[in-house]
Parts: sequence; C-alpha cells; structure tokens
Amino acid sequence: MANTSAAEQAAQERSPAHLKHYFVSSDQQFDAAKLGMWLFLITEVLLFSGMFVAYAVYRVWYPEVFAVASTELNPWMGGLNTVVLLASSLTVALAIRAAQTDKRRALVVNLFITVLLAGVFMVVKYFEYTHKFHLGIFPGGNFAYAEMNQPIVPIFFSIYYVMTGIHGVHVLVGMGVLSWLGVRAIRGDFHSGYYTPVELSGLYWHLVDIIWIFLFPLLYLI
Amino acid sequence: MTQDMDRSEAAQARDAEEHPAHGDYITHAKSIGSWMFSLDHKRIGILYAVTAAIAFLAAGVFALLVRAELLLPGETFLSAQSYNQLFSLHGIVMVFGFIIPAIPGFLGNFLLPLHLGAKDVAFPRLNLFSYYLYLLGVILIVVAMVVGSVDTGWTFYTPYSARTGPAVLFLAMAVFVAGFASIFTGINFIVTVHKMRAPGMTWNRLPLFVWSIYSTSIVQVLATPVLGITVLLLFLERLLRIGIFDPALGGDPILFQHFFWFYSHPAVYIMILPGFGIVSELIATFSRQRIYGYTAIALSSVAIAMLGFLVWGHHMFVSGQSAISSIIFSLITYLIGIPSGIKVFNWIATMYKGSISFKTPMLYALSFLVLFTIGGVTGIMVGVLAVDIHLHDTYYVVGHFHYVMMGGTVIALLGGLHYWWPKVTGRLYNEVCGQIAAFLIFVGLNLTFFTQLVLGSRGMPRRYHDYLPEFTSLHQLSTIGSWVMGLGLFLVLGYLLVSLFRGKKATANPWGGATLEWTHTGVRPDPHNFHRTPFVTRGPYEFDRIGASRSETVEDHRGADPPDVALNQDRT
Amino acid sequence: MKGHHIIPPKTLLKVFAALVALTALTALTAQVDIGAFNIPLALAIAGTKALLVVLFFMALKYDKPVNALFFGLGILFVVVFLAFTLFDTAFRGDLGNVGKEAILNTEGTGQGE
Repeated sequence: MANTSAAEQAAQERSPAHLKHYFVSSDQQFDAAKLGMWLFLITEVLLFSGMFVAYAVYRVWYPEVFAVASTELNPWMGGLNTVVLLASSLTVALAIRAAQTDKRRALVVNLFITVLLAGVFMVVKYFEYTHKFHLGIFPGGNFAYAEMNQPIVPIFFSIYYVMTGIHGVHVLVGMGVLSWLGVRAIRGDFHSGYYTPVELSGLYWHLVDIIWIFLFPLLYLI
Repeated sequence: MTQDMDRSEAAQARDAEEHPAHGDYITHAKSIGSWMFSLDHKRIGILYAVTAAIAFLAAGVFALLVRAELLLPGETFLSAQSYNQLFSLHGIVMVFGFIIPAIPGFLGNFLLPLHLGAKDVAFPRLNLFSYYLYLLGVILIVVAMVVGSVDTGWTFYTPYSARTGPAVLFLAMAVFVAGFASIFTGINFIVTVHKMRAPGMTWNRLPLFVWSIYSTSIVQVLATPVLGITVLLLFLERLLRIGIFDPALGGDPILFQHFFWFYSHPAVYIMILPGFGIVSELIATFSRQRIYGYTAIALSSVAIAMLGFLVWGHHMFVSGQSAISSIIFSLITYLIGIPSGIKVFNWIATMYKGSISFKTPMLYALSFLVLFTIGGVTGIMVGVLAVDIHLHDTYYVVGHFHYVMMGGTVIALLGGLHYWWPKVTGRLYNEVCGQIAAFLIFVGLNLTFFTQLVLGSRGMPRRYHDYLPEFTSLHQLSTIGSWVMGLGLFLVLGYLLVSLFRGKKATANPWGGATLEWTHTGVRPDPHNFHRTPFVTRGPYEFDRIGASRSETVEDHRGADPPDVALNQDRT
Repeated sequence: MKGHHIIPPKTLLKVFAALVALTALTALTAQVDIGAFNIPLALAIAGTKALLVVLFFMALKYDKPVNALFFGLGILFVVVFLAFTLFDTAFRGDLGNVGKEAILNTEGTGQGE
C-alpha cells in the first residue's frame, strides 16, 4: 500500500523481533490481535449490558422515582467528565497516529495526556462519591438520606453506584495500561512496523468512553 | 484408496526420518515445568483433560451418593441438608468444572490448530492463562466446600442465594473466574479459526468439529459476560445489599432469573455444540463416507448458537413472567428443534450405504443419535406452555437434561476421547473392553434417566430428599441404573489407564481419518504440529483423496513450505 | 505495516468538535420536557456520539469487515437481552393474577397467593 515505508519493509525482511513463530507475517499477527481485541470489547459491552438492562427495567417501572432521584446528581460534574473523557479519546487516537507515523515524542506526550485526563475524571468522580456518602446516599439497603425516603430511590442509587463504579474500575485499569505503554514508548518499543499494544489499548479506551457517553444522559439528565 | 493412504504414511515415515532429533510433543521435554507452563496447545489440552476428568469423577461420585440416598424413601444415610448440598455440588462441579470446559478445553485445544493446519492457537499465552483461571475456579469451588457447602442448586436463585450461608460468595467468585476462562478460550478460538488457517483451508474445507467449536466460541464470548455481571451483582447483593434482586428492598427476583438464564441457556449450547462436532467426525470416518449435507450441518451449528440466545425464558414459564414473553419464548423453543433435526437427519443420511465399522467411537456416536433424540424431543415437550405447568421442577426435567448433557455431551466426549486417544497418547486401548463399557453406559444411562422421565410425568418433584412410597420401585430402578453407568465409566477409566502404560503402539492414522491431524502428523504430533505448513487441496471428508494433497505425498515439494503468496494471503 | 489507514488529525479534531457539540445538545434538550420523546432523543444523540467514536476514533470505518461484523453481533445481542427482558417486565402481570403489585406486596397484605 501507499503508506509502506522503507524502514518497515526492511524490518519485515529480517523477521522482526516482535513476530511470534506461529504467525506467518506481522500483518497476520496484527490482524489476529485486533480481532481478538474487538471480541474482547464485545464481551465488555455485554458485561455492561446487564446493568443497562437492570436500569431499563426499573426506569420503565418507576419513571417518576428515577426523575426525582437523579436530581441528586450534578449534571455539570457529569458534563465536565464527559468532555474530559472525549478529549482523552482524541489524544489516544492522536497517539496511535503518532505511532503509525514514527513520531515517538508525540506518542509519549499524547499517552501521558490521556492518563492525566483519566486522572481528572477520577478526581471529579471522587468528589461526587464523597459528597453523596456525606449525605448518607449509599446503595440499596444501606441508604440513609432522609430527604428522599420514598421506596425504589435506593435502587436508583444502587444502579448508579454499580454502573459508575464498574466504569470507574475500567478507567483505573486503562490508566495503568496507558502509563505502562507510555514507559514502553519512551523506551522506543513502538514504531510504524509494530504498535499493536497502542492500537489495542486505544480501542479499549474508546470503549470506556462510549460506555460513559451512554451513562451520562441516562443517569444525570433525566 | 489404500494405495493413497500408504503413500501418505510413507510420507510421514519419511518426514520422521528427516527430523529424528526433536521428538514429538510429549517426549521433547519432560520436566514438570515444561507441562505446567507449556504454551503448546496440545499440552494445555491435556492439562484441561486431567483437571476436567478429576472434576467429572468428583461430581460423578456426588451423583452416585445422591442416587444412593434415594434408594429408599425417608432418610437413609444423608440428612436433608447434606442432600441439598450434594446435589448442588454435583450440579455446580459438573456444569462449571467439567461439562463447559471439557470438550473445548481438551479436544478443542488439542485439535483446533491441527484441524486448521496451524502451528498453534492465535494467543498461546492467553490460552495457558485461561487454563489457570479455570483451575482457580475449580479450587474456589473446593474452598467453598470446605468453608461450608452451598445448598442453592447450581442456579443460585435469589433471594435465597442472597441469604443462605457465606459459601455462596466463594462459589459466585468461582463461577466468575471460570467464566473468564471460558471467555478467553472463546476469543482465542474465534481468532484462530479466522486468522490461523493453513493455505487452501477455506471455510468450506473446515472439519465440522471446527465449525462446532467456532459456534461454541461465539456463544461463550457473547453469553459469558452476562454471567459475570450476574454473579457480580449477586456478590454485591450480599456484600452491599444493593437490592436489585431482593424483594424486601423493592427489587425483583425474577430479574435475576432473566440474567442467569440469558447466560445459562446459551451455556447449554456451549455444552452440546462441541458434541455435535465430535459426532460429525466420528460418523464420517467410521462410515467412510463424505458427510451428507456439509453446509447444512455447519450452518445449523451457527443457527443453534444464535437461536439459543432467544429461548432463555422457557426456564421461567412458572416464575410469574408475563404471559406474552412465555408465548414468545415457547414459540422460539420449538424453532430450535429445526437445526437440531437437520443435523440428526444428515448424520443418518451420511451412514446410508456407507461401509460402517462398529468400533468403540462409532458405538458412542450411534448411542448419541438415540439418546440425543430422546433428550431433544423431551425438551420440545417441556417447551410446550401447558405441558410445562405439569412437568416443571419434576424429575421429567431432570431426565430430559441428563439425556442431553449425559446422553449427548458426555457420550460424544467419550466417543471423541476414544477416537483421538491414539493421536493424543500414541497408544491403542483394548477394543473389547471399550465395546463392553459403551454398552454398559448406554444401558445404565437409559435405566437411570428413562425411569426419571416416568417418575416426573407421575409428579415426582426434583431436588427432594424424600418421596412417597409409590415411587419407590422407579427410584430403585434409577439408582441401579446409576450403578451400571458408574461401572461402565470406571471400566473406561481402568482400561484407558492400562492403555497409557501397556497399550499397543498406534500408527499415525489407525482409523483412516481424512482430517489433517491424521494425514499430516506423526503418531503423536510434533511440538509445532507439522513438519511444514500443509497446503490443503481437498475437503475434510474426502476419504478417496487421502494422499492427493501435495504435502501429503513424498514426491512433491519435499521440505518446502507452500509459496509465500499462499501463506501471506489475507485471511478473513 | 501495509494497509493500515492513518487518519489525518484534522478529521480527528472535527470528530472531537462534533462530539462536544452533541454533548452540549443532549444537555440542552434534557432541560426541555418533551414527554415520551425524552429518552429516545437522549439515546439517539448518545448513539450518534458512540457511532462517531466507533467509526473514526476506533477506525472501524477503515477496518476489516470481520471486526465490524462481530461488533455488530455484540450490539445485536445487547438489544436481544434488553428487548426480551422488557417483554416480561413491561407486561408483567398481563394474566391479571400474578401482577407486579401482587409479587411486591407478598409481605403483610396477603395478596401474593
């Protein structure tokens, strides 16, 4: 194809270090890894689908309760976090581009900006959670917020905590993986002939973003 | 044809002479570490086989104890509480420790790359990781047994599971972990089928076993994550009282059943689909016929995998779910009989005018046809709304799913185990013992479970520790059947162990199979499977063309891989 | 490696701008009460945003079709899960004798037979 660089062709000819013996070519290895990642992503989608189903069931049953309970959530915080995650998706996409075009510096910078943005997301989340704990808004049976003592409100917050909690765990995992990639990128592990881990982690990170794209209107904007 | 076969074996002998140094996949390295940390799909397959066999033995003993308690009405040697724990353990260990991982983990791992002409699966390290997750799951089940056993049955229905003893936490964790093992295996296999096929191995040249493992993997990938979130929510229900499934907190316990069966009904197809694949291989090889309706069998596996997701509500007809959803689920349940029927008819048509040899594996395949048909037809019966009101939670259901799980999956696994035994171990087993055991298992199975169909239709509820005196004789027949079956299974264990050490040395292709593992590898495969990448020029059941492929013959292309153009082609 | 589409940064920035704009739009429309259309509208906007991320950031538009096929399959089964569960919960008690209230109020009211 048009984008083939001379360096990369040379790399292919001397059977590059990253090529596993059971693959015929770098392309086969890359395609396999990428298909594997997409399959992993659909397992993530289905994992979250369980919570979306629970949300839908209870929202169909108790629309008014959901409307009342969600007023406790601050849409400005949620909106801020949405933009932060979208920006981090952009920087990951730019990081992949940098890897594809052999720009190591841009790769490292973009990876660490992504980690930083993810950190901002988690800090905002931390303030949201602690504020609610302070009010006594705990999930389910431990709910102790006197101003909202009608039934089913605790279930809304159970769903809120489980959804955002598991999403938050995914953000933390993503931060770990992306930091590790940043270190490897500084070491010079990635180049246009081999950037599979960057590409795969990028896909994962975008999925985390997509989940939040749905969580924001469903939880904060009722 | 025999000439071709001879040529093929001559080619293999020549290959073996060319590569005398490194030994086959068992002899090339012998330390324990070389087994425990092996990335070789064949060795990982054997790790799965051993672990699953132990789980099967344990769960089988639990079943024998449960049946023994039911020999007489009233309490004989187990209290009601221990009885509940024993049948729960039987179900949980059988389902999560044995029947889900057994065929994909053992035969799938061992055969998939061989069937495709690949050196290994796409992600060998992930493969080993899956095995250890599975092992961890099994260990957690054992921990749960020590901590204090679980009496929820294998279904963990809320709200009971949220309130009974703390061992449920360990079992939920075990299921969660084993579920991830299943997911990673599924991802690995799908990618392997898509990306690792040898040159010339087109989609319509895949052995039907590959098609069935592929369909299974799709189900594993799509369904298992929902099991993950289900047990996670159950976990949180117990730890944080989130209340989504707890009616005391305004939650809905029936929602748990939806979550559970969204996984666990497709899981039934995770259990049976690989069995279909094995039976296709057995019937083709032992009838020496091209399989009849290759495309129909291949695509019906995919159809079953997809339809299997749309019927979970038939477990919940009497749960209080809406009538409209019961009707929809019942209708789709009838539909799933169609692809299963297509398979059975095609297998029978394959045998028509074939030269059938009644070797042990074929006996299992024939048993499968009978037993699976009974299992399938009784399944349609409990899928009928009105009939199910009567039969729900009776021994009829127990009989039905044991005909499918035991008569289908376990029988197919036994057939596959005997069929591929020479390839896995390089030894032959005692054919006479094999046939006697197959006969004992067939008789014992029918005696055990057909009586249960009768018991159920007369109103004997399942999971009861005690029963009315009029059910005594049928229960005793069923228990005697379980002994006959147990005798047959222990016989299998015995002569296979003997064969391992004393068995006659096998040849590379003792059955005259036409798939790559028979025609292109030695008695036992190499560590990297093939001396050179196979170049596939025929389908998997063209018995008359064994030896026709270039890399099967001595003359052509000695020592060279297929051309780069073929190797580098884009794989979809 | 050959055949990997490299997306120009301009496209990525445009997609990002569109995503932020859609976020603002969904926040604004949420303030207006349009009754039954609130959820479909919010989901439509979220779906559009997700589609933009999938097609451009995740480059599925330029990727091998098999990846899109599997992703589509995953989404399809989420829809199946959701739809078939709602077939029950949204119509729970359509036989009249096992209504949702009957199930919820088993304690104390004696309706739950």
